[in-house]
Amino acid sequence: MDLLLSTLLSPMVLFFALGLSAALLKSQMTIPEAFAKGLSVYLMMAIGLKGGVEMARSEISLHVWSVFAAGILLSFVLPLLAFTALRLTSKLDRIDAAATAAHYGSISIVTFVAATQVIYAAGLQTSGYMVAVAALMEAPAIMTALLLAQCGQQKPPSVAGSESGELYREVLLNASVVVLVGALAIGWISGESGMERIAPFFVDPFQGVLCLFLLDMGLSAGRGLRQGWRQLDFSALVFGLYMPLISAAIASGIAWVLRMPTADMALLMVLAASASYIAVPAAMRLALPKAKPSIYLTLSLGVTFPFNLAVGIPLYLFIAKLIQG
Amino acid sequence: MMHEKIRLELIIERMAMRRACRILETAGVPGYTVLPALSGFGRANHWQRDRDLSASQDMVVIISISDEAPIANVLLEMHALLDQHIGILNTSPVHVLRPDRF
Repeated sequence: MDLLLSTLLSPMVLFFALGLSAALLKSQMTIPEAFAKGLSVYLMMAIGLKGGVEMARSEISLHVWSVFAAGILLSFVLPLLAFTALRLTSKLDRIDAAATAAHYGSISIVTFVAATQVIYAAGLQTSGYMVAVAALMEAPAIMTALLLAQCGQQKPPSVAGSESGELYREVLLNASVVVLVGALAIGWISGESGMERIAPFFVDPFQGVLCLFLLDMGLSAGRGLRQGWRQLDFSALVFGLYMPLISAAIASGIAWVLRMPTADMALLMVLAASASYIAVPAAMRLALPKAKPSIYLTLSLGVTFPFNLAVGIPLYLFIAKLIQG
Repeated sequence: MMHEKIRLELIIERMAMRRACRILETAGVPGYTVLPALSGFGRANHWQRDRDLSASQDMVVIISISDEAPIANVLLEMHALLDQHIGILNTSPVHVLRPDRF
């Protein structure tokens, strides 16, 4: 209960709530687009650098490789469950269900960043390689979703003007993957001495920048909810709340088998439970343009993101603590 | 003094912009300009630039001025593109000062 309260009353969640409320109340407040994009690049650089420095401290053992494999496996498998749940319980057609499932197999890096802050506040330390796990979990879900969309259907002709490899470029070389993996490598190469020189920019202001970014996320989530909720039936809306719990439960089982420490188990649960709203929506517009963005973006950004931020993260940490004693 | 040409105006989702530009280039139009679209309304939905971080719902406007033949070459492919992606296309006659540029 203390964990839940301290998360709910943390500045980052309160700023998110401020943005969400402002958007729902139709406030005209905005954060300039270029500034918001700059903030997201900053956060990904900061978390990548930090993870890289921590990775440089220890060797990449067989255990680390197995966690990487587990992350990729989760990203491949979770869309299967999400797709099945949506097809059984909601009125979404095959294309919309597959596109939505891709979002739930991929990850939200902002949820990951917020979770690391909650975990630090609880006095626990996460492993640097979890940043690499986050990057590895971005893309596989998209492949599964494309297979699900095409399964049993005739292969659609290529879209006019499309070029071979454009989807793979979008999936594997999108800004979040490039910045996250690049910063991880730079942190790993430059190590602690390199990090010390840039710490005043990337470490000290991190929490404040995260609050500013979450204010913008709240605005985006609120606007998405306001405009997109009409597209969702009740069962699809509820899916945005129960799917993260199913994904987190599966991730906790995998983390338990791999004997991951409490903080890393909680982070793997967060990664599995989170839904993408940066990389996957862009990829879906290229790969499945018939899918309705108002459905998958409203669910991932308007329903699952706030749920994870306010309730999910402390819940996953609590369960990880219970499992690991 | 002025010379008649055809102006093609395509409003299309940003993610399909490169596909549309490839169609224009392949058809041999001499050039085009892409502008960001701020907001709009259609099919009972409001849309707005800058609504989500992925920018996957942003729209752009592509303008191309050319002779009739390249524009006619473009239309069939553009029709196929707009079967898949969100967008609208229109053409109209315009008058230009320097015909050699188009």
